[in-house]
Amino acid sequence: MAVETVAAGDKTETPAWVRTLLSLAGTLVAMSALVWLLGANPLDVVEAIVVGALGNPFNIGQTVVITGILILTALSAAIPFSARLWNVGGEGQMTVGAVAAAVLGIVLPGTWSPWLLVPVVMIGSLVAGALYGAVPGWLKARFDASEIVTSLMLNFVAASLAAWVIFDVYPEGFVQRTEAIHVNAELPRPIEGSLVDVGILIALATAVIAWFVMKHTKLGFSIRAMGANNPASRLSGIRTDRVTVQTFLMAGAFAGLAGSLVVQGRDHSLLQDFSANLGFLGIGVALVARLHPLWVIASAVFFAILRVGSNSLQAGAGLSPVVGEIVIATFVILLMVTKVIKFRYPENVDAQ
Amino acid sequence: MLSEALVLAFFVIGIQSMVPIVMAALGEAVAEKSGVLNVGIEGMMLIGAFATAYMGITRSSAGLGILAAVVAGCLFGALLAFLYVNRGTDQIVTGLMFNIFAVGLTGTLHSLYLAGQNGETLSGITIPGIGSIPWVGEILNKQNLMLYLAIAMAFGVWYLLNKTWYGLYARAAGERPLAAESGGLDVLRLRYPAVVVGCVLAALGGSALVLATSGGFVPGMTAGRGFIALGVVVLAKWRPQWIMIYALGFGLIQGLQFLAAQVAALQSVPRQLWVALPYLLTVVAVVFAPGSTYPAAVGIPYRRAGA
Repeated sequence: MAVETVAAGDKTETPAWVRTLLSLAGTLVAMSALVWLLGANPLDVVEAIVVGALGNPFNIGQTVVITGILILTALSAAIPFSARLWNVGGEGQMTVGAVAAAVLGIVLPGTWSPWLLVPVVMIGSLVAGALYGAVPGWLKARFDASEIVTSLMLNFVAASLAAWVIFDVYPEGFVQRTEAIHVNAELPRPIEGSLVDVGILIALATAVIAWFVMKHTKLGFSIRAMGANNPASRLSGIRTDRVTVQTFLMAGAFAGLAGSLVVQGRDHSLLQDFSANLGFLGIGVALVARLHPLWVIASAVFFAILRVGSNSLQAGAGLSPVVGEIVIATFVILLMVTKVIKFRYPENVDAQ
Repeated sequence: MLSEALVLAFFVIGIQSMVPIVMAALGEAVAEKSGVLNVGIEGMMLIGAFATAYMGITRSSAGLGILAAVVAGCLFGALLAFLYVNRGTDQIVTGLMFNIFAVGLTGTLHSLYLAGQNGETLSGITIPGIGSIPWVGEILNKQNLMLYLAIAMAFGVWYLLNKTWYGLYARAAGERPLAAESGGLDVLRLRYPAVVVGCVLAALGGSALVLATSGGFVPGMTAGRGFIALGVVVLAKWRPQWIMIYALGFGLIQGLQFLAAQVAALQSVPRQLWVALPYLLTVVAVVFAPGSTYPAAVGIPYRRAGA
């Protein structure tokens, strides 16, 4: 569904940025109350998150890496959502991309130069993610099967595939991960002593490409037209079935690339539970950015700070890291309640 | 080789695995019939499971555990209904975010209060007469109260949707809300209880999951059963009797995981394939579900005419 900014003359006259701040304040209040009920000090929680995400170069590095991954999973939600296609399979598409990166990074000859091996593995992830993403798109176009259900289910299939590769195909002793990929397949880390790899640059470039596609190409126009009014766009000659498949291919490619960033950049092998919902969080990132590919970058930074900062909650405030999940979900829901994030629907189902 | 005991155990596990899916799918069917797609049932099951485990562990009572799931279902159901119905937030996104919220909430509470503890479980009920039938009795004697509750729920939901004024009006709200309102019905007030009832049933599904296993809570223990329930509802075309049958099918597929681990001939197949099978079959089933279409107004928030 197309997310729209508030039109002039809308009944709620409060500007969108004020309502965004209100949602943020509401989230803070709700979280403080919850944290206080759980017996921790809300200020400790805020401090733990900020220090955990930005307190030293190492943590900043982690935050930057997660930002890159979230930009890509968010794009894999934002583009189909713009056409009112519900890709909730970014998690699975990212997982398949990560599996492809791990398998290629292990089986291809490690003697290849990094200039060859890194892009080949990366393109492998991208293609794997794209093909996996295309499945719900094709099922939608060909059989009119609900893409919500199919893309969701395929997440679990992908998780099983990853578990098989981790435990049976390339197991690494008793740790829940595959063997390491070749050193020459790893994304370079240009900054001495920091975890930041070139993945963030790839993610930023992808966001710009996605913006360009949406704004200046025929496909982008078709996607936006479908989002605005599917029957009208079909009547005006847009081949909506083909656009549906193309949109899902693109979304899967973005998510697959996120998988490559995880394996080639962050972990250097495929870990069980490597994602911890990064694919699903991408949906939140995309919505907070109102599906705009460039705003996705800022939104991803915010979510990455929350996600990485939450990891130090156990030490800082005695709370589980998953508290971060509550913050994120509450914030997105409040943005919908205050109508900062709005969706357009067919005016009148009775007339259809 | 397959022994008789193994086959019986397979059916025991299959029927046990069916129960949470039946409850969640019935809850989803009620909400969808009224026009609300509740993707949040997965999270609702998690919360129900946590509530039951919490009471089972701290109060040593399975009964209080079930009650706690009902209360949690009402509270969070009211919250979701407020969002879906009153505020008209997008149902898919709200549901997905609610699932993430539930993962966070139950995970946090679990690490603070319940980590690693087992609680109360329910034991099997022997029904006089049926209990002594060979095979059937041996399978059913291992089933606890929740199976019979699920069967009762299926009757209840069928009756509610098809034989009461509320069911008729709620279905109108789910198919033609504007027409329903023109006819003097209050669409929002009809959808509200459907969401709450649906959430209570899903929470009880989580409860069944806990009571059939260790009585403890494991983060993420629902493992997508709520989503399988979403698929079951489409397959069953929103009819409770078919929900029972399809859920049994999915339960037995989960039982295959157990069977495959025991039978030598099947051990060469990667065990993850059995884990993935129910989800793959849901995809296949949704694709080939003939003539199964959602109620017309599902997923679209209703705004009162002129509002």
